[in-house]
Amino acid sequence: MRPLVIGNPIVRFSGVTRAYGSRVALDDVHLEIQRGELAFLVGPSGAGKTTILKLINREIKPSRGEVMVDGIPAHQLKASRVAELRRRVGVVFQDYKLLPRLTALENVAFALQVADLRISDEEAKDRSLDALEAVGLHDRGAALPHQLSGGQQQRVAIARAVVAKPPLLIADEPTGNLDQETAWEIMDLFSDIAAWGTAVLVATHNVEIVTRLQRRVLTLVHGRLVRDQPAGEIGRMAWLASS
Amino acid sequence: MAGVVLKGRFPRRRLIRIVAANLARYLFGSAARNWARNLGGTTPALGSMTLLLLMTGLVGIAGFALYNLEQYEAGQASLLHVYLRDDAAYQDVDSLWDRLANDPRVANVTFTTKSEALARAQQIPGLPELAGATGSNPFPASLNVQVKSIDAMGAIDAMVRYDLAVDPVNPTSYDPGAYQRIQQVIFGSAVAGLIFLGLLGFVAVTVTANSIKSAIHSRRDEITIMQLVGAPRWMVRGPFVVEGAITGALAGVVAGLVTFGLTAGAISAGSSGFMQFAPGVTVTVVAIAAAGVLLAGVLLGSGSSLISLRRHMES
Repeated sequence: MRPLVIGNPIVRFSGVTRAYGSRVALDDVHLEIQRGELAFLVGPSGAGKTTILKLINREIKPSRGEVMVDGIPAHQLKASRVAELRRRVGVVFQDYKLLPRLTALENVAFALQVADLRISDEEAKDRSLDALEAVGLHDRGAALPHQLSGGQQQRVAIARAVVAKPPLLIADEPTGNLDQETAWEIMDLFSDIAAWGTAVLVATHNVEIVTRLQRRVLTLVHGRLVRDQPAGEIGRMAWLASS
Repeated sequence: MAGVVLKGRFPRRRLIRIVAANLARYLFGSAARNWARNLGGTTPALGSMTLLLLMTGLVGIAGFALYNLEQYEAGQASLLHVYLRDDAAYQDVDSLWDRLANDPRVANVTFTTKSEALARAQQIPGLPELAGATGSNPFPASLNVQVKSIDAMGAIDAMVRYDLAVDPVNPTSYDPGAYQRIQQVIFGSAVAGLIFLGLLGFVAVTVTANSIKSAIHSRRDEITIMQLVGAPRWMVRGPFVVEGAITGALAGVVAGLVTFGLTAGAISAGSSGFMQFAPGVTVTVVAIAAAGVLLAGVLLGSGSSLISLRRHMES
């Protein structure tokens, strides 16, 4: 078996429970995500995948337990300080959430400048172009979202999420609206991002990608983390390595 | 060897310029663009706020005039005019004057001649015609007694009412209920005005808050993105507050101009009559009221936005 990676995790859940009224969405979850790690969150609909992502991004607070993100206690963070945490977390959505009136370049630069007003137009433009180039869209900066394909829009969304170089990237069903080939391209991008030191946590239903990528897989069922398979141990015999 | 002068790059100044430019674009520019885009939804808020501010301005000026009137009446209430008979003997008048001046309840006593009384009456609207119609001076000479406490008015009146020097038909200006009646009318007017403004204010705040709610709804994606990329809370909410302030300022400008125009017009149209009914209301006072209306508009607009943001925007 692979040795456990011991270090300063970028995300740590300690006994996290989250309930919506009487419905328990997440039940006593313990998990750690290391820096530079690419991990998948899988499970049926309503299993608690999105709840985990929302807890990391402090869109919601846990009912019980602790959520630490890059050393920040998200579980007790005041609303006035949430922005501080979110600057350390890039987010990618299934529906891209690009602003339709802005070009690809402006969408990326917008995210950079509204989070940090000290960034000049020139710097924002340079960094946004770098980010677009990294996702393979350096020649589409002037295009409006409706002029781009779904895959290209998702690449712009990824460029926007990483342009500020956050230590963590979370993605909620990022390939849900894409064909299989484009989905692979997006997953390659995530692998590259992780290789450069940014932890990436992807919630997905795409079993084929998860199986073939051989990365760490966290399986949720009815709000419980039922399996944590380390990278390279995915497949029919994976249960041998599961925690 | 001559030294080389190096020019500093003033990085702090550059930073300030960058922050100012970004604020102008993302806070004020964005607010102005969205305000213009949502003008259809903002119009009811603009209308109700203009009406509220206009009424506030006019009621405020009326309130100021009523306050001055009340102050004047309070002074008048402790001033007792003792009307003298036209044929009163000088020694009787002197005797009465001495008695009043030496009374510990009296602050001072002055004398008004018949011609002074006429001159004063001619400044009051309607009375000059009355004076002219009779062909002679109908206004009596009087002793004007400033009483220290309004409670002593009755006793002083009783003391002088049957004096030899005093006019037996119309002896004094004492009217036991007059001041109280004026106070009641002013108090009632103030309460009615405040209730009316309160209702109008509630409507204006509700309508404005609703227009901001629809603005929040129409920019939901942009707000979500700003929140998720870590824009500070004030940066996300700021444009909506500015948007509300623009609505309020515009309503304030319109209401302020109308308030100023109406009142200044009334002052210039009938200055003596106007000053009689609205003492103390000058062009300067009206200009200050108009500026106050503008400021109130800005505060009302941004305050309504804040209320809406608290209720409709999640962190």
